[in-house]
Amino acid sequence: MTNRQQQTPGIDFAVLTLKDALDLAVLIEEEARDRYEELAAQLVLHRTPGAAAFFAKMVRIEELHRKQLLEERAKAFGEQPVAVRREMIFDVEAPDYDEVRSDMTTREALETALRSEEKAHRFFVSVLSHVQNPEVRKLFEELRDEEVEHQDLVKKELAKLPDDDRFARVDVGDGPAPQ
Amino acid sequence: MNAPVFQAKDYKSELKPIWCPGCGDFGVLQGLYRALSSIGRPPHEVAFISGIGCSSRIPGYTTAYGFNTVHGRSLPIAQGVKLANPELLVVVAGGDGDGFSIGGGHVPHAVRRNMDLTYLVMDNQVYGLTKGQLSPTSPRGLETVTSPFGSLEEPINPLLYMLAYGAGFVAQATPADMPGMTALIEEAIRYPGFAFVNIQSPCVTFGEDDQQLKAHKAKQKSLASLGHDPSNQLAALDLARAYGTELYTGVFYRNPSPPPTYESLVKLRQTEQAKKARPRNQILDAYLQK
Repeated sequence: MTNRQQQTPGIDFAVLTLKDALDLAVLIEEEARDRYEELAAQLVLHRTPGAAAFFAKMVRIEELHRKQLLEERAKAFGEQPVAVRREMIFDVEAPDYDEVRSDMTTREALETALRSEEKAHRFFVSVLSHVQNPEVRKLFEELRDEEVEHQDLVKKELAKLPDDDRFARVDVGDGPAPQ
Repeated sequence: MNAPVFQAKDYKSELKPIWCPGCGDFGVLQGLYRALSSIGRPPHEVAFISGIGCSSRIPGYTTAYGFNTVHGRSLPIAQGVKLANPELLVVVAGGDGDGFSIGGGHVPHAVRRNMDLTYLVMDNQVYGLTKGQLSPTSPRGLETVTSPFGSLEEPINPLLYMLAYGAGFVAQATPADMPGMTALIEEAIRYPGFAFVNIQSPCVTFGEDDQQLKAHKAKQKSLASLGHDPSNQLAALDLARAYGTELYTGVFYRNPSPPPTYESLVKLRQTEQAKKARPRNQILDAYLQK
């Protein structure tokens, strides 16, 4: 099974309409927003404020993207019902749960976001080979290119950060939070 | 009128999970929400029963009914819940320590009684909540706070146990494959009888590096890709022996002709007995005739 099939089992991209493609794109941003929100909450709980603050920033960014796509959808299709469901997608742009650690640095948080943007880029590249509707193709090409822009933004932020100056993980007794 | 559609978020409670960041249980919880959404039963028709341990916190993170019971006692209590209200969809959740150590004695009886329960064990091969002691599924040689020079014991094989006890549905999953795990949880819940899913859910804090989800992604092999026929119990037993060396995911065994559940037999017995029962106003006659 390919990554694309793993991330969107049951979606046939060959027959995807523009409305469904826009709704899918909204859900991808929504899933990423919610995941960053979860990860930020986890890191706040585990007193990792730098990484938590960065993930909170990603929540705002993903929400902005979602709203932009929603506006585009509303202009083109108004109140027409949504046919795709959130349950149809698995971690397209959302970071995997195992990307985070209770002692992760801000740099590691940015690297997590970078890997997620790369993952989303690979997804759009992969689905484009199946898409036949020219309008859907245009949309997905735009989204694919935006993922590259997002990667560049994260890379610029990473370049501004000083190198991690930290103890090796093995030197730190890392226990779970009080239950 | 269409039946209401429940989304995964409808099963998510306001309580934030306090597992360690990176824990496999986050993925399991997401998979559960999605499986329940596919099944479509409203949260008030679902009950989560658990014991004690990190994974046993799951009932609190759902909007369904929940009972975070005592250590090792999730299965007896779940059976009581199911018997009291057979219409409830009952999911039992817990860890390998809760299920196969202190609760180990309850497992064969729950299996042979065959109630329509789904038992999800989040197998992390260590006692994580109490800071990393040997658990029943810890591999031989594992160094922990209770085995500083490495474990001398062979681990329990939960898959072989369940198959040997006669469980009608035995599967294994990992949150490294979210769609696969979600589909397996759904299939287990839909199975009409006792269903067991061993979910390899690594402990990010006390687990071994080669047991984390990234390693799972590389080494998992689906049973379907091996051409395994899940109705073949002997083949399932053979494949289950690889627990601890291979990470097989999918359905090991699914009884093609599920026997009647305990609760359906109880209902039948009650119906039969009710026919023979004396009317209420004649009950005392049984004693008075002496």
